[in-house]
Amino acid sequence: MSNKRTRKISPMATAAVEHYVGLSNSLNTSEVSSGVFAARQHAQSLLLQLAFPTQRDEQWQYTKLVQFVQNRFELPNLNAQKTTLSKDELEQFTPPYERIQLIFVDGVLNCDLSDDLSSLPNGLRIQSMRDELQNSTSVASWFSEDALVFSEPFGVLNTALFTDGFVLNVAENSAIELPVWVLHVQTQDNQISTLTNRVQLARNAELTLVQQFVSLSEVQACTNVVTSIEVANSARMRQVVLQQQAEASFYFHNQFVSQASNSDFNTFYAGMGSVLSRHQNHLSMDGEHIENSQNSACLARQKQVVDSRTHTLHNQEWGASRQLHKYVLADSAVGVFDGMIRVDRQAQKTDGQMDNKNLLLSNTAKMNSKPQLEIYADDVKCSHGSATGQINPDQIFYLQARGIPRSQAIEMITKAFLMEPVETINRSEVKNWVGKQLSNALLTGGYFSGGDK
Amino acid sequence: MLLKIENLQAQIDEKQILKGLNLEINAGEVHAIMGPNGAGKSTLASVLAGKDSYEVTDGLVNFDDHDLLDLSPEERARKGLFLAFQYPVEIPGVSNKLFMQTAVNAVREEQGLPALDMFDFDEYAKDKIALLDMHPDLLERSVNVGFSGGEKKRNDIFQMALLQPKLCILDETDSGLDIDALRLVANGINSLRSAERSFIVVTHYQRLLDYIKPDFVHVLYDGKIIKSGGFELAHELEANGYDEIIKQHQQA
Ligand SMILES: Nc1ncnc2c1ncn2[C@@H]1O[C@H](COP(=O)(O)OP(=O)(O)OP(=O)(O)O)[C@@H](O)[C@H]1O
Ligand SMILES: [Mg+2]
Repeated sequence: MSNKRTRKISPMATAAVEHYVGLSNSLNTSEVSSGVFAARQHAQSLLLQLAFPTQRDEQWQYTKLVQFVQNRFELPNLNAQKTTLSKDELEQFTPPYERIQLIFVDGVLNCDLSDDLSSLPNGLRIQSMRDELQNSTSVASWFSEDALVFSEPFGVLNTALFTDGFVLNVAENSAIELPVWVLHVQTQDNQISTLTNRVQLARNAELTLVQQFVSLSEVQACTNVVTSIEVANSARMRQVVLQQQAEASFYFHNQFVSQASNSDFNTFYAGMGSVLSRHQNHLSMDGEHIENSQNSACLARQKQVVDSRTHTLHNQEWGASRQLHKYVLADSAVGVFDGMIRVDRQAQKTDGQMDNKNLLLSNTAKMNSKPQLEIYADDVKCSHGSATGQINPDQIFYLQARGIPRSQAIEMITKAFLMEPVETINRSEVKNWVGKQLSNALLTGGYFSGGDK
Repeated sequence: MLLKIENLQAQIDEKQILKGLNLEINAGEVHAIMGPNGAGKSTLASVLAGKDSYEVTDGLVNFDDHDLLDLSPEERARKGLFLAFQYPVEIPGVSNKLFMQTAVNAVREEQGLPALDMFDFDEYAKDKIALLDMHPDLLERSVNVGFSGGEKKRNDIFQMALLQPKLCILDETDSGLDIDALRLVANGINSLRSAERSFIVVTHYQRLLDYIKPDFVHVLYDGKIIKSGGFELAHELEANGYDEIIKQHQQA
């Protein structure tokens, strides 16, 4: 492997790369299995070669990493097995519905707060990634050098630094009744939590997965996640990802999803926190009669940058994909949506729809939207659209003319705008809870006061 | 007197639309305002309701002992002024029911009455829905979204019935209504008539007026009221148009 640098890299970025390569090396001890050792080494060499994207990279034009690169995030203390989060502190995040729960604190699974993984419902198996790495020999095969994870800069960094995560399997014909709730809590300043998750639904299995990312206090920390999801024939997966980290934190999440014939995948992302967040779905439809739906509701204010992307590959006939992405931006926030639907030559009868709608609450907020279609089949039905604007003053006046105060009118219209994609969440208890999180963030987050909280 | 407009002048985008308009309305009276397109009828309605894209450059409006022009649109509504829009606005995602419950409670708050919860509101709304023969479905849907033209107008009158205002301003509520809907809307209006409640009905046609029999008819032209009379003036206009009246006005 060559460490030859093919790009011009700034001294700042070089220093950051060297820092993270150093951290990665410290993880590659003699105890690590050979497959993981090699994967980390490969990731290190890619990091040294490519460093971090800059504004010159088209995919990162509006999502500037300058601030991230200036930080030197440290690894979490992997041996601090003592509970760093009390049950009371956990309480504030806990959803009001029955669930199976996994709690990660600063990037490490906390067994005291999580459900007992040895007594899960029939058909469901969950392991922490740390345990899986020690027990399983198949792990190495996840990291072949052409693995998709290496196509993304933060996928590379993820492989270099991952310390935990979860491996979740649902057995054939098993429908898991309770949603699995995975909470990630940042408690420490200046740490990077790196999680690698693998989810596999066997034939005709069913699962609802909720992943939530929060901070205990106003820390500046980074979370970098890779979630790989395989949905086998006729399996049905519903997923909700809530990102509510502290306002100075960073969030990167790459999801690699592959679907087999007749399967259904429904994912919803709610982006509310972090100074910089980027959520990406790489979705590959590798069978016939596949359905999926990818939706999001994102909120940003002050100097937040909220980036959400989808890359949807229709590879076989009769696939149907649906997308609705909504952003509400206040102050000087920046929103980025990038969506690509690519229809292969073989994927006749494809039905793909992608919509992005954005509401600006100030004159200084900015939305960058790029929905794209790339179609190589001739018998398809595809559409994409994007619209950005401010609230129509006639709407505000209409509510005022019925006695509703102007500020309340603006709140009602904005909330209604933001909530539309929430309707795509299948389970009503999860839907109501997500709706409440979003409306709380909107109504108490300083979106309408025009200044600080 | 419920409403007294004196020498009202208003402009939009530097263009003078109302040019010294006078009008007096007592409690319980029904006034029709007619006039050619572009005369300023909707402008008058919007200025009274408080739309801020219009700038009032001169004049006084007294409404129920308040200086109307001093109040925000929501305060005007809470004090009993209601405008049924010529073009009711669509508000995606806001349910018609939540909207009206919020509005009714805003007015009740002003009157010192306790708020209605969802069940109380359903009960309160029931006979109004029946009165206007509203499809119950329309209450669950987003405000005016996907409503037909007639359904939107009916929805506005439904809101009026719920809010029980003192002064109802109807801006071409009759246009776009089929014969049955027109009768329903007219019944809705008539059922709200009382000794305390007054109406300003802006219309181009006599057919609505035949149902509601206004006490006064005014002709608005070029930002002013140029002729006032009783119901018979509407018949005269229907028969002869505005030409003769405008000519007389210009000669005077
Ligand atoms: N933003 C604007 N800028 C300039 N002129 C405007 C603006 N809005 C309205 N006007 C003008 O104001 C005048 C009065 O309009 P208004 O809507 O009050 O008329 P109207 O009597 O209600 O007509 P109609 O019978 O067609 O409803 C019209 O000439 C219209 O073109
Ligand atoms: Mg008009």
